[in-house]
Amino acid sequence: MTYQLCVEPLGETIEVEEGQTILDACLRAGVYLPHACGHGLCGTCKIDVLEGEVEHRDASSFALMDFERDEGKTLACVATLAADTVIEADLDDEPDAEHHPVRDYHATVARVERLAGDILGLWLALDDGPLAFQAGQYVMLEVPGIAGPRAFSIASPPSQAGEIELHIRLVPGGKATGWLHENAREGLKLKFAGPYGRFHVRRSANLSKLFLAGGSGLSSPQSMILDLLEKGETGPILLVHGARDAAGLYHADIFRALEEAHANFAYLPVVSGEDASWQGARGFVHEAIERRFGGRFDGQQAYLCGPPPMIDACITTLMRGRLFERQIFHEKFLTPADAAQARSPLFKRI
Amino acid sequence: MTTTTTQSPRAKKLGIKERYSYLTRGLDWEPSYQPREKIFPYTDYEGIRIHDWDKFEDPFRLTMDAYWKFQAEKERRLYAVIDSFAQNNGQMNVTDARYINALKIFLTAVSPLEYAAHRSYAHVGRHFDGVGPRIACQMQAIDELRHAQTQIHTISHFNKFFDGLHDPWHMFSRVWYLSVPKSFFEDAMSAGPFEFLTAISFSFEYVLTSLLFVPFMSGAAYNGDMATVTFGFSAQSDESRHMTLGLEIIKFMLEQDEGNVPIVQKWIDKWFWRGYRLLSIVAMMMDYMLPKKIMSWKEAWEIYFEQGGGALFTDLARYGIRLPKYHEIASAEKDHYSHQAWSTFYQYTHAAAFHTWLPDAGEEAWMREKYPESYDRLYAPRYAHWGAEADEGKRFYNNGLPQLCQVCQVPAFFTEANDPTRISLRTCEHEGEHYHFCSDGCRDIFLDEPEKYVQAWLPVHQIYQGNCGGATVPEVLDWYHLNGGADNLDYKGSPDEALWQSWQASKAGTGT
Repeated sequence: MTYQLCVEPLGETIEVEEGQTILDACLRAGVYLPHACGHGLCGTCKIDVLEGEVEHRDASSFALMDFERDEGKTLACVATLAADTVIEADLDDEPDAEHHPVRDYHATVARVERLAGDILGLWLALDDGPLAFQAGQYVMLEVPGIAGPRAFSIASPPSQAGEIELHIRLVPGGKATGWLHENAREGLKLKFAGPYGRFHVRRSANLSKLFLAGGSGLSSPQSMILDLLEKGETGPILLVHGARDAAGLYHADIFRALEEAHANFAYLPVVSGEDASWQGARGFVHEAIERRFGGRFDGQQAYLCGPPPMIDACITTLMRGRLFERQIFHEKFLTPADAAQARSPLFKRI
Repeated sequence: MTTTTTQSPRAKKLGIKERYSYLTRGLDWEPSYQPREKIFPYTDYEGIRIHDWDKFEDPFRLTMDAYWKFQAEKERRLYAVIDSFAQNNGQMNVTDARYINALKIFLTAVSPLEYAAHRSYAHVGRHFDGVGPRIACQMQAIDELRHAQTQIHTISHFNKFFDGLHDPWHMFSRVWYLSVPKSFFEDAMSAGPFEFLTAISFSFEYVLTSLLFVPFMSGAAYNGDMATVTFGFSAQSDESRHMTLGLEIIKFMLEQDEGNVPIVQKWIDKWFWRGYRLLSIVAMMMDYMLPKKIMSWKEAWEIYFEQGGGALFTDLARYGIRLPKYHEIASAEKDHYSHQAWSTFYQYTHAAAFHTWLPDAGEEAWMREKYPESYDRLYAPRYAHWGAEADEGKRFYNNGLPQLCQVCQVPAFFTEANDPTRISLRTCEHEGEHYHFCSDGCRDIFLDEPEKYVQAWLPVHQIYQGNCGGATVPEVLDWYHLNGGADNLDYKGSPDEALWQSWQASKAGTGT
């Protein structure tokens, strides 16, 4: 038995298992809720129940008092659902977020291209109408014969709603990506659901945009940058794309062309491995930005996409350079193991 | 599990944060006939630079109106439990009267600190040049007063039956070991507002809080003291606000100006070490004074500091903050901390307002299991020796007065981190005077602000200077208002023990 939980003010709906706490379900679905003790004692995770029905479970009578229960409050860290429910949590409102309904889509592979050694480009033509999404969002793709859908960020801009582009990195030992790398060809029928995720450009903040991509993490930034330029963004945009060798810097031609066409866009490719053929910048992404900005990032807004060690190193470099949590964004694909990892409550989103 | 996003069917309304900001807007004002620096004279001199007070996020967004409603309800519930504990003679249902001695330390050492915290938060709340921290401090000031008041009721209850609780406020300013918590808090109170919050809200109430709360609240629960457990729940529901204030103020200082980073680091170093030394008393309570034990000090240190604190400092590293200086010394001491503290109090219990005792056979087995590296080798032989002396009617009391550390005021009984058979003692010269310390940590703190710590009121020095009622132990105890023969000495043979045994006998129906 599962219930639907709608989280306001985000307007995001997730599924909650019977007996699963609201906090656990939210964190696993990538929705951050304020919390601290995790045992119903401190009251940090107090939320309003707007509709539906919850069980308060082990909430302390001091952390959640009788009159609060009567007023429709509960503690997310211990409360479970007894019906489909709508809650309101103390979350920042996101003025730039668009809300697009999630639907199931049928698509046909229109084009397959090897972008780099272990990255395959897939262009999916949508069989039953266009996909409305916000640049930075992802889809859950079903791979024939493999249980459970896999998440892939959309690399094309929302203006190309009839055909979406995905970048599929071959995960070593990965069943789904292995299957796609071997079997994807023009005409293949696939199914997916989407769009998902809250990774999007905060244009209203009016700051310089810094996109940091590692390997196939280029997909979301590509969509976001194309979208921004199409919409006439005039503020500075820098894309730093890191790869182990020059061959991994796929789509360099696209970004060099954009650099020619737009005075406000700059492209900085960087190679971390030993590659004698490479003439450009060397090192990791966080080292490249450290050099480029002299270690100071005030006035920037950073969007990060790539493998976890790269994300971690970049956040550290940005924060040491005085750019803080409210201007750093990255897509989090949380696994249950991540949710269980010991984290301090110092940061909310990063 | 998959997620689905749908268009929200409800009309767009203000978020909780926006509602609060509209509700409270305009409550601060711009002064017109006095310059700001005269109204808020303390916000600059510590060197902390703030550029935009509005960036301080009040994480709780509680209005005063709602605050009163919450606190009134908490009081109602808590006093119902305290009353019922009294009416049902709850004190008779604890595991053993030895437990009450842990409570005596908590009530005489911590309750006055709650009151001191009330005064301090009221003070810094008045002096913050920003409305966010001002409101948070104001509410915490009232919370702390509430905690002090509740604990005074508890003192009053246990004082009806047990010794050592009859004059805690008087004792707090005079008794030697109570100068440890008193001087700790006065050090924080007499600092500037930003250091005070780093000391108490961050270092103590956030970084070290579990090490204080777990022994008291779980200890009380394990040992049948439901009144203290209920107080714990009641206080913990305020504690989330207090801990969050600690985290927010640290983030706020670190993000406002990078010149603040080394200042904050210095304070974290200092207050980690100050707090850690204060917790030596908690370590001995956990390992020796709870008849039914929860976990050892060593285990608590590993879980709550090495693991829990590790995650926090991994995150803080992104601001350029590292683990507190000497954290590795604290970890090296975990096999010895509680044993050395208890051994000291065992020797000086004739001058303390609580009882001590030697661990029994069952407790020694527990010690061996929890401290395989140190207990049998270093501490069991000492207790065996003292036990044999006590059996011969020569219970050991040390009549020499110990050297106190100039900073933490704990007797210099801690050993070198790499050699538990050698006492750790550090010294320095300052303006022709010689000063003594228990550790490099305390010596560093002194050297940074010698003009502050030369003023320390050190109980042993004061006795020698003739300021404590006289030169003999009975005269000093009189000056402490300590009832010799009742409040002090070994638990064995104490009036507390006799009372407890009479209760046990009457429960068993044998009567006395």
